[in-house]
Amino acid sequence: MSDIVSHEVDGPIPARAGIGLRFAHHEQVLATRPAIAWLEVHAENFFGGGVPRRCLETLRRDYPLSLHGVGLSLGSAEGLDARQLARLAQLVIELDPALVSEHLAWSVVDGRYLADLLPLPMTEEALATVCRHVDETQCMLRRRILIENPSTYLQFRHSSIPEWEFLAAVAQRTGCGILCDVNNIFVSASNHGWDPASYLAALPAESIQEIHLAGHATRTLADGRMLRIDHHGSRVCDEVWSLYEAALERFGAVATLIEWDTELPPLEVLLDEAAQAQRRLEHAGSRRLCHADAA
Amino acid sequence: MLTLLETQRAMRRELFEASSGSPEQLGAWCAGDATSAALLLGVYRNTCVSVLLQALRLSFPALQRLVGEDFFAAAARAYLDRELPTSACLDDFGATFPRFIAGYAPAASVSYLPAVAALEWAVNRALHAEDHLPLDPARLLGLDGSALPRVAFRAHPALSLLELDAPADEIWRAVIDQDEPAMAAIDLASAPVHLLVERDGEQLVQVLRLRPRAWRLTERLCAGVPLHAALEAARADTGAADAAALDAELNAALADHLLSGRFVDFWLQEGEKS
Repeated sequence: MSDIVSHEVDGPIPARAGIGLRFAHHEQVLATRPAIAWLEVHAENFFGGGVPRRCLETLRRDYPLSLHGVGLSLGSAEGLDARQLARLAQLVIELDPALVSEHLAWSVVDGRYLADLLPLPMTEEALATVCRHVDETQCMLRRRILIENPSTYLQFRHSSIPEWEFLAAVAQRTGCGILCDVNNIFVSASNHGWDPASYLAALPAESIQEIHLAGHATRTLADGRMLRIDHHGSRVCDEVWSLYEAALERFGAVATLIEWDTELPPLEVLLDEAAQAQRRLEHAGSRRLCHADAA
Repeated sequence: MLTLLETQRAMRRELFEASSGSPEQLGAWCAGDATSAALLLGVYRNTCVSVLLQALRLSFPALQRLVGEDFFAAAARAYLDRELPTSACLDDFGATFPRFIAGYAPAASVSYLPAVAALEWAVNRALHAEDHLPLDPARLLGLDGSALPRVAFRAHPALSLLELDAPADEIWRAVIDQDEPAMAAIDLASAPVHLLVERDGEQLVQVLRLRPRAWRLTERLCAGVPLHAALEAARADTGAADAAALDAELNAALADHLLSGRFVDFWLQEGEKS
């Protein structure tokens, strides 16, 4: 089935591998139209017009598109930025993407954007706040959105809810989907001593609409501790590929994105990473077919 | 227990106002010991600052080449101490950086830096402003003669008008092209310059020099001054000396703006919408 839907650009994102599209690759993708199942872009990069917007509108005709927001700040204690939400809503109307996603994080306080996806205290208050903002966003966009699990470096003492339970509760209370970032699970689990397999097992499989894969870095801090840092600047590492296979085992074949944001490599490297994800997706798909036949 | 808002305000202080002495020490609310919390907050701080520095670098590339990477980073860091983005759309961040540079003491010895920064911000707007269909000049032809003087225009969001006290257009071009002979040939005294910066029909950024009186007319029109009042003001600027030549110049400028799609809409003064 996935082969059939891969070129229906008005349909859903196929359960195949896609790539994050960044400005540096626009011209090459326009010129060569690589055989990739779908594209994802950062919504905020297209709030304006001009050349990038023109390019995306052209590619949109040939590729299913996912809009990934990085600035809505769903976890802010203050209300959502009405202008930001209105601009996102307008972009959604104009581009009609198959998926719209955002993060379980915050980046705005007192009207100032702090330019990173910052960690939330996992409290009942934060959960209620995120759910209220997801509701508002889905209402404004008139569609379901996906929420992505973050990669984090520090935890708060006043957190009372495990992140996986928090995420599952947001999905359950708001009806939103989950964007399962396998690299983020690996990074956070390693940084905080969680078991990544238990994290995967705790997520509601029916809510998982998309998977992200990316590279991360390791850094030794001044106190000698090793920290994994989510930099989206390298190939997916072996441990994350293994965790991805476990995710596919649990969730079945799910649309999977290769993200790469810093030190962007040649497009061919992204396409090669996507091909590696695609092989695993096909394996998962055929396994699921076997199960169905057996049943 | 810290509320969500208290946590977020404390985090902002830790990331951007670390030297100011935080009333609520976030470290005490972080898991692990104090040293580890400080190091981890430092990881976030590095990301926040480097993302914002990179946004400024992308918007002010010529300025960075003129002053060098380290000087630019120090100036940008000082700017971040007093200004953080009000939007997650980082293309919008840096509008006040030219004014900051004008008042930044370490940069005072290079008099043309604020002018170059102002031009780069206008170029940034021309690159990133939202798209808009141009005003169809035929819509003006449908007006009766008495309405024409009351026409007020709305400028394209990508358009900027700059009156600069240095030939920033020549400097900017020479720096971007890394053309040292052109840079050496610039006469800094050839100022002020009157610039129009826009995104043209081919989506390319154009930096044009206008004659001062055409520039002033354009500036008034873009500010929403109705046609008749803007033309009267232009005539008053110049005096009656060369009325015919002035009218010809102003008419030519107006026609060029309309044909180049620099206006996107008009209305009739007295609140009557077009």
